[in-house]
Amino acid sequence: MNAKTALPEIGVDAETQRRVEQFLYREARLLDNERWDDWLALMAEDIHYWMPTMENRRRADKNGSYAVDRGALYNDNLVDLTRRVTRFKQPTAWAEDPATRHAHVVAGIEVYQGEAPGEFIVHSTFVNYRSRVEKDNDLLVGRREDVLRADDDSFRLARRKIIITQSVLMAKNLNTFL
Amino acid sequence: MCTTQGATPIRLKRRPIAQSIENLDQLMNLEKGRMSRDLFWDQDIYEQELERIFARCWLFVAHESQIPKAGDYVTTYMGEDNVLIVRQKDGSVKGFLNTCPHRGNKVCFADLGNARQFVCNYHGWAFGIDGGLKGMHASETYEAAGMDKTEHGLHPVAHVDSYRGLIFATLDPEAPSLAEYLGDMRYYLDAIFDMDEGGTEFIGGCVKSVIQCNWKYASENFVGDILHAGWTHDSGAKAMVGGPVAEVHKTPEQSYHVNFNGHGWEFNQDIVGNCATLGEKELLKYLYVLQPKVAERLGELRSKMIGAISSCTLFPNTSFLPGQNTFRTWHPRGPGQIELHTWTFVNKKAPQEIKDKWRKGTMMTFSPSGVFEMDDGENWEYSTRSNAGFVTRQQDLYLGLGHDTRVEGTDLPGNVFQGQINEANQRAFYQRWLDLMKSESWKNVPQRDVPKMKEGV
Repeated sequence: MNAKTALPEIGVDAETQRRVEQFLYREARLLDNERWDDWLALMAEDIHYWMPTMENRRRADKNGSYAVDRGALYNDNLVDLTRRVTRFKQPTAWAEDPATRHAHVVAGIEVYQGEAPGEFIVHSTFVNYRSRVEKDNDLLVGRREDVLRADDDSFRLARRKIIITQSVLMAKNLNTFL
Repeated sequence: MCTTQGATPIRLKRRPIAQSIENLDQLMNLEKGRMSRDLFWDQDIYEQELERIFARCWLFVAHESQIPKAGDYVTTYMGEDNVLIVRQKDGSVKGFLNTCPHRGNKVCFADLGNARQFVCNYHGWAFGIDGGLKGMHASETYEAAGMDKTEHGLHPVAHVDSYRGLIFATLDPEAPSLAEYLGDMRYYLDAIFDMDEGGTEFIGGCVKSVIQCNWKYASENFVGDILHAGWTHDSGAKAMVGGPVAEVHKTPEQSYHVNFNGHGWEFNQDIVGNCATLGEKELLKYLYVLQPKVAERLGELRSKMIGAISSCTLFPNTSFLPGQNTFRTWHPRGPGQIELHTWTFVNKKAPQEIKDKWRKGTMMTFSPSGVFEMDDGENWEYSTRSNAGFVTRQQDLYLGLGHDTRVEGTDLPGNVFQGQINEANQRAFYQRWLDLMKSESWKNVPQRDVPKMKEGV
């Protein structure tokens, strides 16, 4: 697991907890509404946005079900994320037209103090439901581990690790962020 | 090195399908570039494909680099048959149906790993990495019944062999050799899998996804359809390189379709065209530095293929893209679904940072979240699903591009056609499909293509 998980879990005050929750709820709404540029503006310059793929390995196998040097659906820095957004915005992004309808549901938000001052480790769970045209419906459920960094009166997302339950992605594509 | 399993008794039994479909010839008129949609929808055709395509052809099962040590294994599929591919103590590779011969339960539930034995969860039957039944829970009860353990090992596949690191297997004892099956395609495979001393390796594991489409739409796309790229992938190209896909239809004199035994490769000679879509200058530099060395090794033409705008399908359901370095198998799941397994391949001797850039770039472009692959799935899904309509299903499809483009008298191996915007490879793919579907055994499959390469090369 990520080394950050091993940090002592030191809680934060209720106001910080509330502000982090608001940040994540707003982020989800920006994605639901395809406000890609506004979403990109939430990213720190050094963002690592990572969603490894899951391998089925026996428990005794020390390699684990995912690792940073193995498969990933996202292993992005800011340039990569910006490229993906560039595609979404093209009139020739055929698999986005008619528009896909998104619902990003975020829950179970836990906030702890991070390694550096002004950083917070944030755990959350998510449900993502996407519907396209008549009845293309795709459901993804998973867990996220974020590092948020204080930025003026809000935050920037500096790290995100996304763990989904599926090892075979039961969808033709993944045309959203999680 | 892989060896065929000559010493192992073949215990696979085969009950041929009760009644083969009549009038298969009516499904296509390749001369006129017309084809029936039944190929992509009909359940009976699919069942016959499982027998006559997937239980007969050489299918890609693993890369040598995935299972370097004795006991290393991967589980994969041959058609819908789940198989276990295992490195042996003598360095050879064996394949088995991943099912216990006792009650049929799946024996190995992991995607990959290393094992000293495989033990079935149901009654504890334990198999060595050579497939032999070694023991089981409460073994004395079997001894009392007079059961002979040597008769109840895992069911082996018929043959395993490899070419340039790619391991293939067949479930048909009568299959021709892998060298004969690949035939002249090996000449072109060398351009990618033998461009550098040390060959290639797979890195970064496997990305898997499901697409609700017929498997042939995916295979025929990679066998010869660069045409779709300029339209389907416009948004991906603008994201990655800031402009449209190269207009390869304007320079047919520099590009080809080649095919052999239903395998096909469309390519031009721009060296780095596919690779450029990863948006990583270091990778282009790597290929440009390598190209003259490849020219010495394999000649000028093949040295210009190492990362060029191109795609290839090995019949029936394995494909790859030079330059983007995605390697993939489209496993059939009924006439209307595939399970897509993809890997990243790199030259074994490439510097680590180059390998890392490829691993990342491959998944940025050609994975379910990739900016190119994103738009493929929907095309194939609706090309398939439209055929639910009873009348829709009876309308023909067109695949007539590139008639009269055959290059005669060339020294290049395989059937060679001028211009990579072409449907010659797609027609050859479907001709091979038809030949196999009509034939009751390998003996009856017509040998249409005359190899220029010697079998042992």
